Amino acid sequence: MAEEQKKRKKRKTATKAAASIGPMVKESITSTIRAREEGKQKIAYTFIVCQHDEILRAMDIVPVWTENYSGICGAKRDAERFLQRAESLGFSRSLCTYALCGLGFDQWREELGEMPPDAPWGGQVRPDFMISSGQILCDPRSKWYQAAQQFMPDVPIYNIDLPYPLFDPKRDHREVWGYYHRYIVKELRGLVSFLEEQTGKKMDYDRLRELVDLGDRTWNLIHETYELRRAVPCPMGTGDAMNTMVPMCFMMGTQEAYDFYLDLNKELKEKIARGEGEVEEEKYRLLWGGGLPAWYALNDFNYFNSKGASFPAETTYRMVVPLYEMDIPETNDPIEHLAWRWLGYWTFWYEKARKRPGSEPDVERLIQYIEDYKIDGVVMHEAFSCRTWHVGLIWQLHQLAKIYKPIPVLVLGKEGKKEKKQRELPSLVLESDIIDITSYSEVDTRNKIDAFIETLESLRRARAA
Amino acid sequence: MEYYAGIDIGSTMTKAVILAEEIVASVIGPTGPEHRRLANKVMEEALRRAGLALESITYIISTGYGRINVPFADKQVTEISCHARGVGSLFPQARTVIDIGGQDSKAITIDANGRPTNFIMNDKCAAGSGRFIEVIADSLGVKLEEMGDISLRSTHPAKISNICTIWAQQEVAARLAEGVPVPDLVAGIHEALADRVARMAKRLKVEKEVVLTGGGAKNKGLLKALSEQLGCEILVPPEPLITGALGAALLGKDIVQKALKSGKRPETKKRTLEEAKLH
Ligand code: SF4
Repeated sequence: MAEEQKKRKKRKTATKAAASIGPMVKESITSTIRAREEGKQKIAYTFIVCQHDEILRAMDIVPVWTENYSGICGAKRDAERFLQRAESLGFSRSLCTYALCGLGFDQWREELGEMPPDAPWGGQVRPDFMISSGQILCDPRSKWYQAAQQFMPDVPIYNIDLPYPLFDPKRDHREVWGYYHRYIVKELRGLVSFLEEQTGKKMDYDRLRELVDLGDRTWNLIHETYELRRAVPCPMGTGDAMNTMVPMCFMMGTQEAYDFYLDLNKELKEKIARGEGEVEEEKYRLLWGGGLPAWYALNDFNYFNSKGASFPAETTYRMVVPLYEMDIPETNDPIEHLAWRWLGYWTFWYEKARKRPGSEPDVERLIQYIEDYKIDGVVMHEAFSCRTWHVGLIWQLHQLAKIYKPIPVLVLGKEGKKEKKQRELPSLVLESDIIDITSYSEVDTRNKIDAFIETLESLRRARAA
Repeated sequence: MEYYAGIDIGSTMTKAVILAEEIVASVIGPTGPEHRRLANKVMEEALRRAGLALESITYIISTGYGRINVPFADKQVTEISCHARGVGSLFPQARTVIDIGGQDSKAITIDANGRPTNFIMNDKCAAGSGRFIEVIADSLGVKLEEMGDISLRSTHPAKISNICTIWAQQEVAARLAEGVPVPDLVAGIHEALADRVARMAKRLKVEKEVVLTGGGAKNKGLLKALSEQLGCEILVPPEPLITGALGAALLGKDIVQKALKSGKRPETKKRTLEEAKLH
């Protein structure tokens, strides 16, 4: 295993910013190990996309993003031994493999009383407490830590429930979101009390307000920076974005995250000024239309690139829209603001979807990107073990096919005139998993990619003719 | 006279087609573990049948899973484009191609020019491919070629609930022990495979006419079950195994003609039948 790791070449990225992520992630893991040794700060297991980042930072908690660590094991092609261990404990392979990997790792560490041998990047430290988050569809977010408590019975769990109104084409979600808001605020305040109890410190609300403000500015900066990728040729693709998601998901509410995107913004602007694209000769612009990536196979993005295909946009790990475009009430209370940010994030596409009969928020988002980023084809990845992000992908493609048909359609042109346009949009569905490498075949995947590129090429030629 | 060749190295069968205005020769042989060598053999046989020497072939395209193992091919193209082109030439009215091969199955939507507009592949699991029928035929002691006819004798197709090939095999054994007649079991197996393939195809928009290719198209029972699942008639080419190789040869012809129009000759490889090296 170790040999194979050494032999694998470092993946080529289009931006310096993306290339700088590896050491950054390594340092974030090492810093948790340091914190454990020093014993000054409390350490929490927790999940990304829960709007509690700033709360944790304001209380000086060291977050251990357990999905991230499993992802690292996957990217280093070293998840299998932890997955197998979890299986031998009776957990099924069809559960979320992030959770399986984490559970296998934790059980091993607890059994040994030290890190498992050759643990990737030093290992995942034992937490002081675990913050789970009940979220629509994702059961591991509440069940994972309960299962982990079997091996760490002394480590308490605090669960925050974070619902949002489901989409109803006949109802304006704002009729009910006040109720949801009150509920989420209660949940977050409950979290603050739990953390105060655990740390013996009081929350400093001025600091929290500052960090939430920093988080908001980072949020908007990420959006503005990613929007630069509309440029033709596209200066940075999804392959890089799977690196640049790190500060967004694991470091929100830190100056480091803000500075990272400031640098990325500058770098992209420079690349655009030089006319430098992610690929030398951009032929096809693709949308990563859904799905977490196969972390052990990020090289597939380079394979796409080698065929002249660039990915200017993805729906995975993105801020949706800047906060100033969200129709959420203003408040001076940082906790209330975090709850609104959560609701704004999940419901932003509802209104658009209501206006198009038969549509759905996720489909509206795809349409917006397809138009804004001049997309030629959509690629999705069905990772079998994570239902949360993957349910409904095929249905979304079906809905898209109703709009982007393989026949000429009339669309409103620039001067309000109707124009005939060919708008078919080929799609490719890759199938494997986030970290379970046994579900992946490089030969089959690349064969599919080749066929997809040929399909795009034949359409390009047909259009040119 | 210009000649074009297409060679399709699939997971179980290798096919070659030599084409001028029409097909002048075609060969089908098993792929086997020696497929790096077989490309040569099949090509030699096709040339023999056509009465041609390798040097007289203007352009050669290889396709299928083993396409990179054909050192004498001028270009490699995936089976998606080749099937689309091959079927498009035989059935200009075709809009959907379903291919059921030995180890995978795929559905392709095509336009009026035989160009693929979208596709989907099942390559993960034997249950979606001809291998499914093969395994069951084996365990029933029935010849693979007879499976289709046997299934047509069924009066009450058995419901096979397991979609995993191995479990389906066990289920068949259990139902056999219960006394379920063989034709009903075989029909049930065909329905299970047709259901899986239809579900995959429906991920795309299945539009008429629908054409079935690959080994699966030779099985009447499967054809019937699939046409019931899709609710439409399904067309089958005269030799459904060679549409990929035919499409490859046609794509070669397209390339040459385009090049000639612009006053150039396309670049081609040295015309020798060398074996692919294991790297
Ligand atoms: S199911 Fe998906 S969202 Fe939930 S923990 Fe696993 S990977 Fe994360």
